[in-house]
Amino acid sequence: MSDNHLIDHEILSTLQDVMGDDFGLLIETYLSDSEGRLSAMQKALASGDAEALRCAAHSFKGSCSNVGATTLAAQCQLIEQAALNKQLIGLETSLVTLHSEFSQVRRQLAGYQ
Amino acid sequence: MTVTSMASDDGSELTIVIKGRFDFSVHQDFRGSYETLSSKPEQFILDMTDTAYLDSSALGMLLLLRDYAGGDAAKISIKNASSDVKRILAISNFEQLFTIENNE
Amino acid sequence: MGSRKDERLITVLVADDTSTDRLILEAILRKQGHRVLSAEDGEQAVAVYSAERPDIVLLDALMPKLDGFAAARQIKTLAGEELVPILFLTSLTDADSLVKCLDAGGDDFLSKPYNPVILQAKIRSFFRMRAMQRTMLEQRDQIARHNEHFLQEQTVAKQVFDNITSGGQVDSKHLRYYLSPLAVFNGDVMVASTTPAGNLMLLLGDFTGHGLPAAIGAMPLATTFYGMVEKGFAMSDILAEINSKLKSILPVGLFCCASMVEMNFRKNTVRIWNGGLPAAYLHRNDGQVEQIKSSHLPLGVLSNKKFKSDPALISMAHGERLYLWSDGIHEARDLDGEMYGDDRLLAEFANNQQPDELFDDLLKSVKHFVGLSEKSDDLSLVELLMAPVDIADVNPDSQVVTTQSQLAEWGLTFEIKPSSFAIFDPLPLLLSVLLEVPGLRNHSGTLYTVISELYTNALEHGVLGLDSSIKDAPDGFDRYYQLRRDKTQTIQNGFVKIDLAHKMQADGGSLTIIVADSGSGFSLADYTQKNDKHYSGRGLKLVQSLCDTLEVRGDGNIVAATFCWHTDD
Repeated sequence: MSDNHLIDHEILSTLQDVMGDDFGLLIETYLSDSEGRLSAMQKALASGDAEALRCAAHSFKGSCSNVGATTLAAQCQLIEQAALNKQLIGLETSLVTLHSEFSQVRRQLAGYQ
Repeated sequence: MTVTSMASDDGSELTIVIKGRFDFSVHQDFRGSYETLSSKPEQFILDMTDTAYLDSSALGMLLLLRDYAGGDAAKISIKNASSDVKRILAISNFEQLFTIENNE
Repeated sequence: MGSRKDERLITVLVADDTSTDRLILEAILRKQGHRVLSAEDGEQAVAVYSAERPDIVLLDALMPKLDGFAAARQIKTLAGEELVPILFLTSLTDADSLVKCLDAGGDDFLSKPYNPVILQAKIRSFFRMRAMQRTMLEQRDQIARHNEHFLQEQTVAKQVFDNITSGGQVDSKHLRYYLSPLAVFNGDVMVASTTPAGNLMLLLGDFTGHGLPAAIGAMPLATTFYGMVEKGFAMSDILAEINSKLKSILPVGLFCCASMVEMNFRKNTVRIWNGGLPAAYLHRNDGQVEQIKSSHLPLGVLSNKKFKSDPALISMAHGERLYLWSDGIHEARDLDGEMYGDDRLLAEFANNQQPDELFDDLLKSVKHFVGLSEKSDDLSLVELLMAPVDIADVNPDSQVVTTQSQLAEWGLTFEIKPSSFAIFDPLPLLLSVLLEVPGLRNHSGTLYTVISELYTNALEHGVLGLDSSIKDAPDGFDRYYQLRRDKTQTIQNGFVKIDLAHKMQADGGSLTIIVADSGSGFSLADYTQKNDKHYSGRGLKLVQSLCDTLEVRGDGNIVAATFCWHTDD
């Protein structure tokens, strides 16, 4: 997957502008938030808690879209929708994909700091 | 108790205003108001709007004025007399000697 | 930055459990010049709102402890009628969730990723809305305060009217009246009381203006009315006094249309004066209706010199009724705006078969005509019935007043000694005593003349021994009074004694005046033989005509006169 699909650089540069000196803090916060959301999703799926999965996916989707991680946000949307419909089967694969994409986003964001 | 008078521009008519009590105490002022004029007016008007009371000496003074003004030929009218004053004039039959005008 | 002079700092509460989103929002808002408060869950959001009362609240929908929807509800409740815009921070896209946001009290959404330009526009627009709402609330409160003030004024006005109109005795079979609260507020006033002679005196007035301004005029009207009726003053005097009071206190343009009535139940007469009110109707026993139209200007317009307080005197047989009203009845309008008018009134009289029910029928007819339109109760109606007086109808209060606080039975002796003849005139003093008797007040002119004559005779002829024939010549007048002046200043002996005695009688009272002097006396017969053309000699004849009795006692140096007055004078 190309970088262009993972990150909306326009959003990120706007954020850089808005946050100024706090941009680094924002990226750090995003990364730590994201790890929390990912592990929460993992736990919810393992215990078959569709509602908890939906909420975590929803929140993760929000922060991803805010930092311009548009592909991650789209992926979260799919998981959120499936959780809402209680369709948990096959979501493990989606979560693995989400994890790997997040790793790439993390690498790219490191370049902004 | 005051008597004031005012002659018309041509001097033919004299208005005498009597305020308060009309009794012997004003007889000099009353006579003075018409006797001191250079020419004798043809007509006299007594304004009794503010005349509170009158007694028989006032009636005497009215007759004095009437004789001065020509007796039976005198032209004297009394205007704005209160009902009390009118009653006394009526009792003394002064309506026959003076023109007593009805109130405005 | 960005805040114009007229916009104060806007405080925004941001509640989001995702630190990333919160950080971004905080940064955008701060950069736009707003003050930012933060919360990490719904409970915190409610607590911060309650403590800080921010202008605008941005809530994430999904939060731990208390979600955005529940927090929104609690914040709206805390805000009361104040408008606190709540914007949901969401990436929710399904219609159900959006509806849920609105149901919870959300005013708008802000979707992620946040767009600073849109955020700024929304913050400003909601802040303006909030300011507008605040102004509206202030204006509403102001209107409410004005309204309360108005109602209070109305209540005070009503109370003032009630207080002053309750001073009289208006409960009697002779009088029925209806004054609606609105009529009272619009300046209608009715005062009624029983005179010492047992007559019913009543005044119905309609002040221009309404509310307190009208009540202010009604106060002196009522106090003057009750004060003077109780003391037995004549209707014309009371009218003149009220007119003069109102003329002096009311501003130009404010006056009182009024009808005043005095019912004499023994003589079966009514005195009526109408200044500016609609014609009063007199309902005869044969069914005829006579109108007593206004022939005077309202009270408080003319100076007393020009004011005419001459009431008409009309006979009324037993059972006949007199109706007074303010223009409220004639001008009562139905829903189409048509006025009730004279024709309907006359028709009501013409159709009536039961005079007893006329009063109720009239009211019913007007109220029915007006129906539900707003001026439905601006009505003042008075009915006066000519009927015999029962003992029970005589007002006990006014009798108490008569005997306790007013001169009724008394006598006095007043002696004038030589040193006072020149300088003292006893008439004003004696007259002021006489005027304390209500029944004598109407006769002050006559009493003055009587006492003046008797005193002058006693002094000039009795004490000073002046011969009135001196006055037969025109210049004698001066001579006579010159002599009088000289003699009063030099006289050493003599006196004039004046006895006044008053007693009450069934229908009034009698005053005895006895004047004695130290002179040698005279003969009444000789005295009265003078002819009419003399300038003098009219005094005792005048006294004779004015009094009920006149007699000369002793050697002719005592003259006694009695003067009787009647309650109906």
